[in-house]
Amino acid sequence: MANWDTPWYRLDNAGTMYSALQKERYSAIYRFSAWMTEKVDPEALQRAVDRTMPRFPSFAVRMRRGLFWSYLEPNTAPGPFIKPDVADPCQPVRYKEDNGWLIRVYYYFHRISIEVFHAVSDGTGGLVFFRTLLAAYLEELGHKIPPGPGLLDLNEPPRPEEWEDAYLRYAGKTARAPVLMKRAYPNLGESEPFYTFHVTMGFMPVDKVKEKSKAMGVSITEYMAAVLLQVLMEKQHRERPHRELPVALAVPVDLRGLFPSETLRNFILTVQPVIDPNLGDWTLEEIASQVHHSMRQHVTAKELQAVFTRNVRYQTNPVLRCLPFFLKDPVVALSYRSRGVRPYSAVFTNPGLFKVPPEMAPHIEHMEVVLGQATVARPHVSSISYGNTMEITFAGTQKDAQTERDFFRALVRLGIPVKVVSNRR
Amino acid sequence: MSYCVHCGVELEQSARRCPLCNTPVIDPAILAAEDAQTFFPTQPAKVEPVSRRGMAMLISSMLASVAVCCGLLNLVLKPHMAWSFFVVGAAAMLWVWAVLPLITPKTPLWLRLTLDVAAVGLYVWIISLALHGQRWFVGLAVPLLLFSAITVGVIGWIVKRRHSILSTVTMVLAALGCYGLEIELCYDRFVSHGVSLSWSLVVCAVCFGLCVPLVVIRRVPSLREEARRRFHV
Repeated sequence: MANWDTPWYRLDNAGTMYSALQKERYSAIYRFSAWMTEKVDPEALQRAVDRTMPRFPSFAVRMRRGLFWSYLEPNTAPGPFIKPDVADPCQPVRYKEDNGWLIRVYYYFHRISIEVFHAVSDGTGGLVFFRTLLAAYLEELGHKIPPGPGLLDLNEPPRPEEWEDAYLRYAGKTARAPVLMKRAYPNLGESEPFYTFHVTMGFMPVDKVKEKSKAMGVSITEYMAAVLLQVLMEKQHRERPHRELPVALAVPVDLRGLFPSETLRNFILTVQPVIDPNLGDWTLEEIASQVHHSMRQHVTAKELQAVFTRNVRYQTNPVLRCLPFFLKDPVVALSYRSRGVRPYSAVFTNPGLFKVPPEMAPHIEHMEVVLGQATVARPHVSSISYGNTMEITFAGTQKDAQTERDFFRALVRLGIPVKVVSNRR
Repeated sequence: MSYCVHCGVELEQSARRCPLCNTPVIDPAILAAEDAQTFFPTQPAKVEPVSRRGMAMLISSMLASVAVCCGLLNLVLKPHMAWSFFVVGAAAMLWVWAVLPLITPKTPLWLRLTLDVAAVGLYVWIISLALHGQRWFVGLAVPLLLFSAITVGVIGWIVKRRHSILSTVTMVLAALGCYGLEIELCYDRFVSHGVSLSWSLVVCAVCFGLCVPLVVIRRVPSLREEARRRFHV
């Protein structure tokens, strides 16, 4: 039980949603892994975790349930303790397990992994934590790593800007009215039994992907999103539905690029590139161009601010605030189903290049990222690059591997060499 | 390094099959590396089981606390009446129903059902003692309890056999029809020392009337298929 003067944090806008959605068959957990050049030393890693946690007060928290909202409270329990890695990653968060810690650290031979509950932080914040943890680990092994961009100094005290609610800070005066979001091709598969989580990773050279995307005049993220959209469109076409639905991706956008903030908590929104198969056949170039222009049109400070201002208003509405959580949570879950699941065929997130100081670079071989299981049986797609290696993960509970198979085959046909690994047994 | 002949992707050293299309990997060069370390761990995640013992302790202490409080209150509130025995009996009955399955999870269904019925019987016996109702306890409550237990046991057995939905519903309806007859039989024998069945025959007729079309649908394949198509969920 916390004292009356224990500090606490209100959940941010995205955190409110993830805490309301949390259940045993949905995991708002994401994982970053670093494959080191040397085998992991568990004792040094535990020491690094112990040194890193106090510097990140917004990660060293536990979830508490209030009458109206859930909130975060500093976790004074011992831990988090590192664990040997498991076959099915991104298990749903359970608030009473692991002493209430909302982050987990795993090791397996050369791999160090962190898993973070999305209510605590988004991918950008998670990567700052992970980069700092890896630097602390390498320091424990005797290497000297200077602080740099996205790598916090463990000797300086935490700054309040790091746990600010940037949504609230930047919420403007104008809120965009909710727009009607059409149902997209759901790309559903048959679900595996409980706790079986398939992860399939593809590794490819960044320079080759860059060459291909440059030839089409788009970014790497847009190029990969275009290939994924084409694969999903062809998959839907092969299923011969009565009427083909639009194929849409949820692509998270880091708002820090448009609204300067040092927060390590959530500060993202998703945009929705869509392809309508009813307009005729699409070539990859046409899809890439559509995605490129759609992203340019919608990723603007004006539009995104209007969207998150509307989301924040739900949170600050005096009537909604007075409703107890057991009335609010089902409404949030229902609204997530209609606005976060039905209008999308897949999630595609790409935090981009994982940059580290030159002193750290020789110790890391490649990076990996995994998104937790969706509310329905379909794969989530995520990607990260390190050096000249780009990694793309398909993760989900569906039995068949058709989406990932078609995607990686398409890349090979486009002339990009791919190495595939999977935990499918 | 191996490649999948169907997908054209490079595979990890230890892969026996392509993870995308399940095509076997046949590469004589990597046979020597059979014990190569796998890219992903194979140890499954352990999920903490719910502590049955803790839950049993919690419920037991709650029931015991209620029983003790009512027993003490009985000393000052209407002490001439042993009303707290009703509460203690109810707590004991709930303990058998809720706590016993937690501490002995492997008890077979028939034994659990027998213990549950015995607990109800004990509770009704306590009430009959307080109300001087030995006659109705032996003549009415005991036979009703036995017939109820038999009916629940039969329905449980039917459901456990995992017949088709149609067969299960037919047999459950037949069991409920028979149960109606048994209830009125017991009541008549106790009240009028004779048997003159009335309302239970109506219940029985309705149940068996519903069973007939279900049996016909079950027996005729075309009807069965039509029903499956029209009523699928």
